[in-house]
Amino acid sequence: MSADQTRAVRRALALLVLLAAWETLSRIGWLDPFYVPPPSRVGGVVFDLVATGDLWPHLGATALAAFAGLLVGLVLGIGLGFAAALSPLVADLLEPVMILLNAIPRVILAPLFVIWLGIGLASKLALATILVTVLIFFAVYNGIKEVDRRLVERIQTLGGGQTVLAREVYIPSVTAWVMGNFKVAVGFAFTGAVVGEFVASSRGLGYLLQFAQSTYNAALTIALILIIMTFVLVLFAVAERLERRLLAWRYL
Amino acid sequence: MLRVRGLTVGYGGEPVLDGIDLDLESGHFASLIGPSGSGKTSILRVVTNLLQPEHGAIELDVNTREIGFLFQDDALLPWRTVRQNVTLGLRIRGAASGDADTQAEHWLTRLGLEGFGDRYPGQLSGGQRKRVAIAQVLALRPKLLLMDEPFASLDAIVRTRITQELLDWVEREHLTVLLVTHDLEEAIGVSDEVHVLSHGPRATIRARHSIDIPRPRNVLQVRRHPDFGPLLQTLWDELADEPPEKGTAT
Ligand SMILES: Nc1ncnc2c1ncn2[C@@H]1O[C@H](COP(=O)(O)OP(=O)(O)O)[C@@H](O)[C@H]1O
Ligand SMILES: [Mg+2]
Repeated sequence: MSADQTRAVRRALALLVLLAAWETLSRIGWLDPFYVPPPSRVGGVVFDLVATGDLWPHLGATALAAFAGLLVGLVLGIGLGFAAALSPLVADLLEPVMILLNAIPRVILAPLFVIWLGIGLASKLALATILVTVLIFFAVYNGIKEVDRRLVERIQTLGGGQTVLAREVYIPSVTAWVMGNFKVAVGFAFTGAVVGEFVASSRGLGYLLQFAQSTYNAALTIALILIIMTFVLVLFAVAERLERRLLAWRYL
Repeated sequence: MLRVRGLTVGYGGEPVLDGIDLDLESGHFASLIGPSGSGKTSILRVVTNLLQPEHGAIELDVNTREIGFLFQDDALLPWRTVRQNVTLGLRIRGAASGDADTQAEHWLTRLGLEGFGDRYPGQLSGGQRKRVAIAQVLALRPKLLLMDEPFASLDAIVRTRITQELLDWVEREHLTVLLVTHDLEEAIGVSDEVHVLSHGPRATIRARHSIDIPRPRNVLQVRRHPDFGPLLQTLWDELADEPPEKGTAT
């Protein structure tokens, strides 16, 4: 067995032991099932959510807000990052705002977005977008500002102009920075969507979570947390593959 | 080919170089030696337009596009393969990609990097990266070749081989070369003339020597030429008698 396989088996075993202990303690009453329902009950809730199909519209709503936020955030972050790096005027205008937004926990803007944009998709999209935009803005802005001067000079002495510089140096360099932050951006987009729903909405995983909490349904709450975790882990795996593809030169 | 007149270069404070004159005839191989930090790289950066001088002028008989500049460090584009790095200059100049690839293969083979075309710079040793950088510059077939301590990072055997390879190429193509080096034997072995830069700040050219050793030369055998030993001694004395800190006001 390879070292990786050994480690995987050990981890799976640890998880199984934990679940077995939890199940036992919950069944013999040492853990109050009202607060800490046994894994079997949580599993049942997950199964029901999937089997009845109740989960899908909510998952869909959250995914839509998250993906749309990710996309808009990427476009805005990259666009503003490039603008700030290329124009000192734009940099002076944007940097203070971005630094301020970066310094605060941006989810505190959620109630404001609900007041401004209502409890529909728009407020979730806005929250996910702003979380991603600030992150990507700094990745691109710093990526361009800290681009390797030596590479720029190489291109210049080989006779390359702005177009060649962009194609051979700036865009690859910025891609590296953005992809280096891509997994975090996916996580941020999801956080934005779920927190937005949690604050006020009529659908989505965040809404379900809020419903579960207000009805003191611990089994549903844990089930939803597991579902969200699973979904984000799947997205991370996809993001990782994309990163390895776009940054093949780094993974050799 | 290249005339440098009264060149004064500074980075804000006291000038690094003060009143440098340097002539390089077409088809000549010149070396520039001097203590580290004296301003050798700065001279090349002015000639290639990467640095604006405080005073002085550069006159060139060739278009700046016909200058090949081999930098002191070997920074290649990390996200491009060896082949893409070598063809970079050719592609910038509008070569068809098939042609450029053929050229790249030719140069990689000459420099002992056959089969490395699909690798990324991160997968190469320092010496291999340096050779890719050399291929990138030579593939453009420059008329004036500027090299900044190109062989410093290579081990002795590779260094001798590459130097000879480059020397053969320069002699056959009658290239004009300005080589910055701190290796005195290398300077004598390959050049027609050696310019000695004094210690900075306010460094000047303190001596020039012509080297009348016939070509074609072999970088190993050239050491047995009767002029070699005395010249080496002279250059050594000129560099050694430099004060370690303050410049010589001549
Ligand atoms: N970008 C720079 N900013 C400030 N000082 C510099 C810069 N580049 C070089 N210098 C200074 O100029 C002097 C000459 O540098 P350089 O031309 O690189 O010397 P050499 O190539 O002979 O070692 C050195 O004292 C160095 O510290
Ligand atoms: Mg130097």
